[in-house]
Amino acid sequence: MSGAGPKRLIYSVAVRILRTRVRYSMTTGVTHRKGIIGKGIARVDGLEKVRGITQYVDDLDMPGCWHAFVVRSPVAHGKLRGLQLDPAFDWSKVVVVTASDIPGPNLFVMHDRSMPVLAADTVRYIGEPMALVAAPTLAQAKEAAAHIKADIEELPPILTLEELVALFKDGKLVTGVEQQAPAGVGGFAGGTPASGDVLCSQSIIKGDVEKGLAEADLVVEGEYTAGYQEQLYIEPQGMIAIPQKDGGVFLRGSLQCPYYVVHELHEALGLPADKVRVRQEAVGGAFGGKEEFPSMVAGYCALPALKSGKPVKLIYDRHQDILFTTKRHPVWVRHKTGLKRDGTITAIKVDFLLNGGAYLTLSDVVMYRGILHAAMGYRCPNVDVNGLTGRTNVFPSGAFRGFGAPQATWGMESQIDRCAEALGVAPHEFRLKNCLQVGDTTPTGMVLIDSVGSPTVLTEALQRAKFDQKLKRCTHGKPGAKSWYGIGLSFFAHGSGFTGDGESKIGTKVLLELGWFENGRPGVTIRVSSTDMGQGAFTVLSQIVADGLCAAIEQVRYPLPDTSLAPNSGPTVASRTTMVVGATLFGAAQKLRAMLEEFAGKPITSARQFDSVADKYLQQHGPTRVENGFKLPDKIKWDQKTFRGDAYPAFAWGCNIAEVEIDPRTLALSVRKVTAVFDIGRLINPVLAKGQIEGGLTQALGYAVMEKMGIRNGRFDADRMQTYIIPTMLDVPEYDIHFVEFPYEFAAPGAKGVGEMPMDGLAPAIANAVFQATGVRMTDLPITPEKLLRALSAKDTK
Amino acid sequence: MKTVKRTWVVNGESRTVDVPPARRLLDVLRVELKLTGTKEGCGEGECGACTILLNGQPVVSCLMAAGHVPDGSELMTVEGLEKTENGRLLQEAYVEKGAAQCGFCIPGMIMSSYALLTRNPHPDEAEIRTAHAGNLCRCTGYQKIVEAVELAATKWKRA
Repeated sequence: MSGAGPKRLIYSVAVRILRTRVRYSMTTGVTHRKGIIGKGIARVDGLEKVRGITQYVDDLDMPGCWHAFVVRSPVAHGKLRGLQLDPAFDWSKVVVVTASDIPGPNLFVMHDRSMPVLAADTVRYIGEPMALVAAPTLAQAKEAAAHIKADIEELPPILTLEELVALFKDGKLVTGVEQQAPAGVGGFAGGTPASGDVLCSQSIIKGDVEKGLAEADLVVEGEYTAGYQEQLYIEPQGMIAIPQKDGGVFLRGSLQCPYYVVHELHEALGLPADKVRVRQEAVGGAFGGKEEFPSMVAGYCALPALKSGKPVKLIYDRHQDILFTTKRHPVWVRHKTGLKRDGTITAIKVDFLLNGGAYLTLSDVVMYRGILHAAMGYRCPNVDVNGLTGRTNVFPSGAFRGFGAPQATWGMESQIDRCAEALGVAPHEFRLKNCLQVGDTTPTGMVLIDSVGSPTVLTEALQRAKFDQKLKRCTHGKPGAKSWYGIGLSFFAHGSGFTGDGESKIGTKVLLELGWFENGRPGVTIRVSSTDMGQGAFTVLSQIVADGLCAAIEQVRYPLPDTSLAPNSGPTVASRTTMVVGATLFGAAQKLRAMLEEFAGKPITSARQFDSVADKYLQQHGPTRVENGFKLPDKIKWDQKTFRGDAYPAFAWGCNIAEVEIDPRTLALSVRKVTAVFDIGRLINPVLAKGQIEGGLTQALGYAVMEKMGIRNGRFDADRMQTYIIPTMLDVPEYDIHFVEFPYEFAAPGAKGVGEMPMDGLAPAIANAVFQATGVRMTDLPITPEKLLRALSAKDTK
Repeated sequence: MKTVKRTWVVNGESRTVDVPPARRLLDVLRVELKLTGTKEGCGEGECGACTILLNGQPVVSCLMAAGHVPDGSELMTVEGLEKTENGRLLQEAYVEKGAAQCGFCIPGMIMSSYALLTRNPHPDEAEIRTAHAGNLCRCTGYQKIVEAVELAATKWKRA
């Protein structure tokens, strides 16, 4: 395969259904006729995007709209004694909002109630909003903001992951204090910040890890770190707040989760939830960066809008967007693995520490997903994963594609390679021997039965890449070589949907409306809160509905989600949309079709029949609506306290193989080829799925070798596109992407998650390839020539 | 504030603006001419989302002062593509190959494609990649954009 057209992507799909699963496929109503599911149809919103007529938030024509500007803390930690408005400045033409102007409680309702909308008495990070200014022009707003001075008594900050790790190793990182923190108070509950403070902690325990380590023939230890990663969607954050006659506010913006904005903001605005209307405009990329953060942007324009009575717009420029938005959590992970000489694993002990920044936001759930993936993938009776998120005086870390799993997989898959090396076996042989398969149990005690793409993804990838042949060509840092070559792999699972029984708790609701379209023909409108941020939800969910109805794609419409029109189908996160919302819509479409078939007294088997039956139905009964909710199989059991049970409804599976070349003189590293095999369940749209994989792998390539961001003087040290470097068209390797399908039969039509998975495994695969190329193991991301030089020098001096 | 009057041929039509000379061409296009297809991704010439064609050459409009664009210049933005046969087939190729995901980089990206194919209707893959190296995309991994340009090249009509 690799010889044929090496520059072309080779795409193929192998359908494999485990024999054990066949009986289920008969009972779930999966349609096996030739439908639109599985077809790589063009994106339904594609043409308007390439014509340049799609309207993103900054493109909306809003005559009379004011502009907001945020006044931010210049210090990382301090007592805010007060804000002084320059008496010489003319304040009559602007509106200023400070903490005391907030109608409701001064907080964003995140996973706790600690984060103020505007700092009131304490500032806890550089860039923390202290006041908001709105004016008829942005220039006026900025000028007014420059006339507001903050009186701050500085306090010592704690800033970096390194400081947190040092505290942890000294036993000074205070755990358990998060439970003692009084509600509504965002303080350092553990006392002085220098003593360290833990925003959240959780462990996973299976068997007896100490016993497992004692039984081991050898114990392998390793520490792995990674810095920040910026989402770098090309469209910056943006929102418009429009005051409503009824006293409410209408928010239109670039966001992933319309109902999050309602939930997180309405209390501060002093409004009931139904007075905060949120509409998604076309979103120019998000990657998690528009999950929770837009609630904050919404607050920064809704407050001055309500105070001034004017529509207020806030569009971040790129400099602000990089400096003052959430990033992927920096991580330190320590592994201790017990091994038998025969290659079995007796114990996996992991400490997983994230830098959460100044407030919790949703770091607890990021950490949960992190620890659920930190020891995942391999058979082991004794597991102990200890997760901690430390508080520092920097911008709060937040959601980013993968949500803790990339950090966890980075540690785990580096460590697995190190274990293979310690045993003297090839890295793929060790994985083939130990990888989880049907019937095995995960670290939380979940027995893998449904839709298990392991070991197929692994064997398929090894074969496609000719891994064992190429492994023999690796240079191991051979002196005098013109070029160093290495090949490395990673194997991983990614939980689809929310953790445990979260999908039951959230109560996903969807609505289908049957009516007449403008062309006079019948059609169905999808009403859900799931957004399209480029990943293709509008197209994929439309395909699912069309298939369920036996209609054509043109007979289905998916308008921009709006909380005044659509029920809450949950946030557009966690690789859940196609799987969970898709299944719920599929059920709704089938209900609607059954209703029409009953009306007609015959089955609907074509789009033409759908048209004529629906037309007759509409003439007789008028427009109608069908609702549906999501239900998990009853057998899913999860204990959120002990983290025991079925951690996810299903896992998607993946294997990445990276081939690298390194110039021994300059240590310039280039990733030449990536072979990636995934099981994401049933493919709904192969073209869009492959687009997700190609884009996700490219983002993971950036994380692995290019994208560098740390903290300097309390601030992100990359603050614009000139200093934060992402892959260009010239940087991407040749990709060989392949899917194997293990449909998830409990959520017909059987998709699992795809969005996050390609972010998880490429960094360790590249690091493992670098090890084979150079003989040194790189343990800190991104892997740069400078770090390689240091590592090689350290090896030489040993 | 002092302003200058400029008359350009924008997407084939004569348009006159009266703007401060230092005003960014990007802002003049988006605000004065209401051509919001062209996007601002960074404002410093790094991302290429604001790429337009000035007399057939791709330029980043965020780094151009309107006063520096002489009278009579020909400007082409994403909105002008569909007025040409080649522009339409390029758009179709982008849609067919799935080259647009979130779509925010596309108005700039596709102008770089148009400039390349106008100059060189049979580019090889390396030439395609080099011609778009100034256009950042965070969604696609670029592969489908390369495929779209290759597809468009097979149908391109020479002037």
